[in-house]
Amino acid sequence: MHTSRTIPTFAATAFLACVAAFSSCASSRSADLSELAPGDEGVAIRCGRVLTVDEDDRIHGPGLILVKNGRIAYVGPERDIPAGYAVAEHPDLWAAPGMVELHAHVQGSGGDINDMVYPVNADLRASAGMVPSNPAIRRACAGGVTTLFGIPGSGTSIGGFGVIFKAKTKATYDEAVVRDPGGMKVAQSYNPERRAGDLGATRAGLAWILEQYNEEARAMNREGTSTPMLENLQKVHARELPVLIHSAGSDGYPAAARMWHVGNGTRAVLSHGCFDAHLTAPWLVKTGVPLNVGPREIDFASTRDGRITGIAARYLEAGAKDLSLCTDSPVVPQEELFLQGAVAARYGADSYTMLRAVTIAPARVFGLEDRLGSLEVGKDADIVLRTGDPLDPRSRVERVYIDGRVEYDRRQDGQWF
Amino acid sequence: MIQLDLTRRLALVATLAVSALPVLAQDGEKPAETKEKPAEPADGEKKKEDEEERWFAIQNGDVYTGTGEVLRGATLLAKNGKIHSIGYDLYVPPDAKTLDAKGFRLYPGLVAISSQGLLGNASSDFDDTIDPFNSRMILALGTGITTTGAGTAAVKLKRFSVDGAVVNEKIFSSFSWSNSNPRVKGELRDKFVAATNYLREYREWQRKVKDDKTLAEPNKRGVDNTVLAVLQGEQTAKFVSNDRDELLGIAHLAQEFGFRPVIEGCQEGWTIADELGRAGVRAIITPRDRRAKDERQVLAGGASIENAAILHRAGVPVAITPASEGVDLSGLVGRDIMHLPLEPGFAVRGGLPERAALESITIVPARILGISHRVGSLEIGKDCDVIVTDGDVLHYKTFVQWAVVDGKVAYDKEKELFFAHIRPRPEAAAPKKIDAGETPPDPDAKPDETDEDVEKKDGEDEPEEKGDGDEPKKDR
Amino acid sequence: MLRSQSILFGASTALLALAGEPLAASFGNGPLAIRVGRAETVTKGVIENAVILVEDGKIVTIGEDLPVERGVQVIDRPQWTVMPGMVSSYTRIGLDSEGGDDMSPDVKASDELWPKSRDMRKVVDYGFTTLGVYPAGNGIPGLAAAIRPRGETVAEMILKDPAYLKIVMRSDSASKKRIRDAFAKVDEYEEKVKKAREKWDKDKDKDKDKKGKKDEKPAEKPAEKPAEKTDEKKMADPDAQDVGSEAAQEGKTDAKDEKKADGFVPPAPDDKSRSFVEMRAKKLRALVTLAGAADWLHWLDALGKETIGFDVRLVLNQDSDIYFVFDKKTYDLDADGIGDRKVHAVVEPVLTFTPHTRRLRNLPMELAQAGAKVCFTPRTDNLDNYKEFLGHVSELIGAGMTRDVALRALTQNGADLLGVGDRVGSLEKGKDANLVFLDGDPFQPATRIQAVMLDGRFVFGEVDS
Repeated sequence: MHTSRTIPTFAATAFLACVAAFSSCASSRSADLSELAPGDEGVAIRCGRVLTVDEDDRIHGPGLILVKNGRIAYVGPERDIPAGYAVAEHPDLWAAPGMVELHAHVQGSGGDINDMVYPVNADLRASAGMVPSNPAIRRACAGGVTTLFGIPGSGTSIGGFGVIFKAKTKATYDEAVVRDPGGMKVAQSYNPERRAGDLGATRAGLAWILEQYNEEARAMNREGTSTPMLENLQKVHARELPVLIHSAGSDGYPAAARMWHVGNGTRAVLSHGCFDAHLTAPWLVKTGVPLNVGPREIDFASTRDGRITGIAARYLEAGAKDLSLCTDSPVVPQEELFLQGAVAARYGADSYTMLRAVTIAPARVFGLEDRLGSLEVGKDADIVLRTGDPLDPRSRVERVYIDGRVEYDRRQDGQWF
Repeated sequence: MIQLDLTRRLALVATLAVSALPVLAQDGEKPAETKEKPAEPADGEKKKEDEEERWFAIQNGDVYTGTGEVLRGATLLAKNGKIHSIGYDLYVPPDAKTLDAKGFRLYPGLVAISSQGLLGNASSDFDDTIDPFNSRMILALGTGITTTGAGTAAVKLKRFSVDGAVVNEKIFSSFSWSNSNPRVKGELRDKFVAATNYLREYREWQRKVKDDKTLAEPNKRGVDNTVLAVLQGEQTAKFVSNDRDELLGIAHLAQEFGFRPVIEGCQEGWTIADELGRAGVRAIITPRDRRAKDERQVLAGGASIENAAILHRAGVPVAITPASEGVDLSGLVGRDIMHLPLEPGFAVRGGLPERAALESITIVPARILGISHRVGSLEIGKDCDVIVTDGDVLHYKTFVQWAVVDGKVAYDKEKELFFAHIRPRPEAAAPKKIDAGETPPDPDAKPDETDEDVEKKDGEDEPEEKGDGDEPKKDR
Repeated sequence: MLRSQSILFGASTALLALAGEPLAASFGNGPLAIRVGRAETVTKGVIENAVILVEDGKIVTIGEDLPVERGVQVIDRPQWTVMPGMVSSYTRIGLDSEGGDDMSPDVKASDELWPKSRDMRKVVDYGFTTLGVYPAGNGIPGLAAAIRPRGETVAEMILKDPAYLKIVMRSDSASKKRIRDAFAKVDEYEEKVKKAREKWDKDKDKDKDKKGKKDEKPAEKPAEKPAEKTDEKKMADPDAQDVGSEAAQEGKTDAKDEKKADGFVPPAPDDKSRSFVEMRAKKLRALVTLAGAADWLHWLDALGKETIGFDVRLVLNQDSDIYFVFDKKTYDLDADGIGDRKVHAVVEPVLTFTPHTRRLRNLPMELAQAGAKVCFTPRTDNLDNYKEFLGHVSELIGAGMTRDVALRALTQNGADLLGVGDRVGSLEKGKDANLVFLDGDPFQPATRIQAVMLDGRFVFGEVDS
């Protein structure tokens, strides 16, 4: 991706301002330092430290973020604040981007994760079961997670389509949703294996079930036709929607990559990748398929070499790019997404890369990086203020902004996490 | 002291509370309960006049004593397994074994208030059942734990030896105090009344029998010996409770009869922290416990991440334990005994000072177990149980490089397969790579019982799964 | 053919002839000379073109290219290799009773023997000529015996009984208590003996004063103690005292053993204590079963100050951690390692894994390197495993164990463990003629056993001159 440069001249700024309208690359947008107009909402956040997690990994200490109408208007070193902005002084706090979760099951009532009658739920929508601002989502916000991809479970080969939404603490569905359908959910290892005597007890059988649907969708795309049931699957094959695939083991993980990334050419993100899947890391990295690790972060029993293997570390050693982490909430409580980063770092990954793995990397692999994942001009003002290192459990979340509004404030709301 | 009216009773409580303080300050001089195993070998070799001296020095590290002091670049010298001196320019005998800790930190060996499976497969009679070679002990030492509560005993993770591991026994008596069983509460109270009366009569008799030898000893019938032991300070009363009402009841019981209970769980303790503090309660807490508030109640309730901090501020000593007390290598990381140092971090998040966080896994559990005269901090005379770390012990990336128990290196990160490949020590051998030709394991092979199943037996279920749960589960 | 050797050979044959043993024409009687391509003696290396002379069930002589006198039966097999009959010192092949209670050190495995046991007889076909059979059960199940696998009667089968006391050691309180209590009872017994001795001495002194009195004062004691002998005549005839006392009858053997020159007969120990008394007196060794490294430390801890002789049987589970205690130095143990004590160690010929890995380990090899004397026992105690025994051991040689150690582990070491190492276990002059003949290197997969000789008689294989 691009690297951005500070623009010294007005001309360059103007030129880029025009380009920005057509460009999807947020980092080339220029800062807006104008004063607030009537009707505008703006807050200026002064922090002891600002982790932008941009392409240059810029860190400002102390730093300033200008939030205007829900978007970041400026992020950089301390400077004069334009008129009209409310000022939030947090000299002791660190600002970091809100975290992005690609594998969550806490969007609903809690018990309704799987519908397992059909082996394929071709057009099931998780959004229909969503309960906005439910307690799990509120705690997630207090844990610094601001965007989630809420999906069906892994009981079926295609679970359905998930919904991308913000972890707002007092919102309606429309206020929270970012995109629906946000992407497709596929499960290909262990969990969807059927035992009731119907097709799907073997991996090959499950693959055949999937490919029947895939082939039909692709054929319709070629012909230019569609049916309501397969509309969204077709979008997946047209690369308009991403697909998140639950898979694991050195048997399942590369097979999933073969089917979806290499074979079908979709925007596939391989989730989990645990047990001994990391042994196939060199090949996976060569194919370029994005990997989303979690909730298991280590392997010991499957790899069988007496070592406690840090899974993320192994993929990174093999050269994985844009590795992201997940909680598979509620398996790991949603608010502990940061902890997944911490333990991945503990077991061998680079800490800063793990911060990226819960912010910009998941945003990027799901096509959301124009809006989310880093503190850059033009992106959504999803900002988390903490007392320290975002990955350190000791760091307390003091305040969370989503779309420029305070969704959680510890002093006012009490410490939820 | 035979019949106490209310005023005198309160005075008695006050006296007991006050007299407990110097005991606290002296770090637990519990009489007669601590099993002192002598250092000499069990085969009965005659002790020579000038006993053989075994010296051990850890040099050049930053010594965090656990009492609030830090000595940077200092030497810790141990003689025959006990800390002899800590400081600068110490004379180290030429035949001493040494360990260069330059660039590293020294901390007291961590004390796990409770754990499962670290001592082997048995859960009692540790003198006879301890397995000092079991891999969970190695992993625990790699976490920094050098002593653990086990059942009602306190045992050292003394690797390679079966001798002298048990430090204390019969520490706890467990009592039940539950709202769902009011009868038991009443019965317990009655037992305390009976025992208190008996003690009072007994002391009175002790006083009078000096003059009149014919006086009969008071009848012990109906007196519960366990409760008596608690009142006499020989055993510690332990409760498991999370509910505000129950906690209040226990606190009142403690105040009325003058003992200091240990309460495990204590999730709603933060709502009545002052009461618990006044009652002398010691709390064993898991900061990440989640429990919803009972919405029928107006009062504050439910679990809070600020629990440890609030209790600490109210004077309740807090020991911290993880959600799972066994070793869990199934893949989900951060909530088992192997990640003990991570858990106090969440208490810090909730406002607990860093020093109290370190104490919650060192000296406070040591005191609760009645062994703080031997472990829990690095002080002269205490056992040389030390961990050498590559950073702040509460930081998520810190690893234990060496663990020393009784002045002997019991664990070296680079010598065990488990973690040697993770950020290896600079002077150690290059990390072993997985060979390119290494084949994945046979998927049809039956998994080894000692790994997964034993770990699962520690009570660690797949956590918080609803319905199917989504994470991949291999058929086993 | 060296003249000197020939003369010597002839001389010894002549001597034998003088001894009155006629040279018979058929096998099994008279001397028999067997010429083979190779002899693995185990104790004295390999002899090429070996000649073994067997007579009256013993190896009379063995050497390279020895000339054979005319008239001596000769079996000529230059392609064969001969090795000593193998010893399986820890087995229950052919026996089928179950264990009883956990403290039965008086139970004898020899009581279970029956000469018609098909499985036991069959092991000879696989080259096993000596067995150590132990009683079934946990705890302290009893006494093992060294036997021949075949015989017309049980008495014919027994070589040494008891051979060792089997003790199963676990890391638990019951195991340690059993040991400690047993030795505490030995202390009590020794106290009792001491007191009896003192009394006997006192009485003897008293009687010295009363010398000359005719009537004896036998001073009847309770049944366990033998009647005191004050009469000098009785002192000369120790057997007389045992008549009429049942308990004393039981202790007869002990009494005889313990009898001092001056005629004091100590009281007999009770059944449960006897084996322990003998162990403390170094007359009996124990074989302790251990499953893990911790068991070894707990065993030493249970022994405490006892200095009894013992050997170990190590159960090699797939992930065995016993290597931790092979020697003291590697892991800086406070206690001795198994190798440091130079004990015999009975193990299966099996490769294990370093725990939690798939890295193979050759623990029997490491054990031998640490100083222990390895004795092999079949992987599973059944005929199939006896048949495959040499093959299993070959796997260990392939994984690094030396041939010498492997051979010894199949023969002499097991014999020594059983206390019959002077009679069997190697090809040496004077030892029992237990021989296994193979058509090649015992450790090659294509090799087959051609014949087995037990006590000088061919019991397997078709052999004609």
